[in-house]
Amino acid sequence: MTMTGWIPLSLSHDIEAGSSAGAVLNGAEVVVWRDTDGRPHIWEDRCPHRGMKLSFGFVRGDHIACLYHGWEFGETGQCQKIPAHPDLEVPKSICAQTYSVAEAAGMIWVHTPLETTEANTSPSPSAPTSRVAHCVRSLYLDVPLERALAALPAAFGASVKVENSVASINAPLVDLHIGLHPVTDTQCALHITAEGQPDTAVLLDILARAEKLRGSLEAELETAR
Amino acid sequence: MTLPTLYNFDLDDHCYRLRLTASICGVDLDILNINTFPGHDHLAPDYLLKNPLGRVPTLEHDGLILRETAAIQTYIAALSKNKSFVPESLVEQAAMTDWMIFADRDLASASAARATALLDVPGDGPALTATARKMLQIMEDHMTRQRVLGKAFFVANTVTLADLALFPAFALSRDFSIDHDAFPALRRWARQLRTVDGFITMPGIPDYH
Ligand code: FES
Repeated sequence: MTMTGWIPLSLSHDIEAGSSAGAVLNGAEVVVWRDTDGRPHIWEDRCPHRGMKLSFGFVRGDHIACLYHGWEFGETGQCQKIPAHPDLEVPKSICAQTYSVAEAAGMIWVHTPLETTEANTSPSPSAPTSRVAHCVRSLYLDVPLERALAALPAAFGASVKVENSVASINAPLVDLHIGLHPVTDTQCALHITAEGQPDTAVLLDILARAEKLRGSLEAELETAR
Repeated sequence: MTLPTLYNFDLDDHCYRLRLTASICGVDLDILNINTFPGHDHLAPDYLLKNPLGRVPTLEHDGLILRETAAIQTYIAALSKNKSFVPESLVEQAAMTDWMIFADRDLASASAARATALLDVPGDGPALTATARKMLQIMEDHMTRQRVLGKAFFVANTVTLADLALFPAFALSRDFSIDHDAFPALRRWARQLRTVDGFITMPGIPDYH
């Protein structure tokens, strides 16, 4: 499934302030990180020095530091510090590839095709509802996104409406908005959010349905083998 | 009083589990290194007298010899002045034991996948990794539910021996090609665990400084 525009890569609550994680979008590796002030960033997951994954690194204030030799990059992607040469004025040309990022509806989004911040002029992703989004879980599946999407109505017991990389479901107990994230041609992630403040029993029910969905898709894969 | 002796190999995940447990419990160990790779010292006749199974870790203390990681963890916790790592409630104790056995038996796939990838141990790497991934998924599902229930750790809202038993397999998973992307609940849990007093790392687990 080729999608363009804003694609969600993570639930907001899974990237804590001062932390980073890797994500894959249509085979492209990116790092999703949040500075200590809480602002999200999505970059190519590749250190300009020797190509180490930046997602293996760690966040310090508004910098992300590479695990390998500790080079630090500020929010524009520019290298700010090379620990082995503390007195060096770091050349402006040493820069990590940044992408357009937005946070809305309980998810962190990147704009595709992946491009630099300046190139993107499209408005931020709009929330599918005015009600508060409650992050439930990201479900990673070893099937193409189309296959996962086709299984959603049975899994949650209601019909599904897809708009702007979000599948909305008026499930019997709660309204769900699920971010659709194609990882590779054979893998995807569903970033599940619920409207309002669902109680514990409802949340546990969504989790059980999500696990069963993954189980049935896996069983299908097994028989297809 | 003599210190317990841990027969240890620094790159072994079970040995790390015990060094981590001792460090967090504040229990001093006398660490005796057994060069299992590439030295094969775990098969030396004198070591086999301590542990005829021919593997690390082994713990020896005042004539007592323990060979199973979960049992050694329990012993270390018993020596600790801090009693918070073994819950008082029997229900929670049972849950803790359940996860400790999972760590020893089911996460053996992760240990084996890593040994195959790093230490030249024979094995079907891809199959072991696939099994290990399933085990991590079970842990991820559990911690996702724990979050909904307002619990930061595997058994309770504080660290128990279960967390220390399970941590190495997740923290070392990149050694056998499993990235942390698809395990947000485990990432969050691991970040919490890192902030516990006495937390230590091992080669392969980055130290954020
Ligand atoms: S590879 Fe990133 S600092 Fe060297």
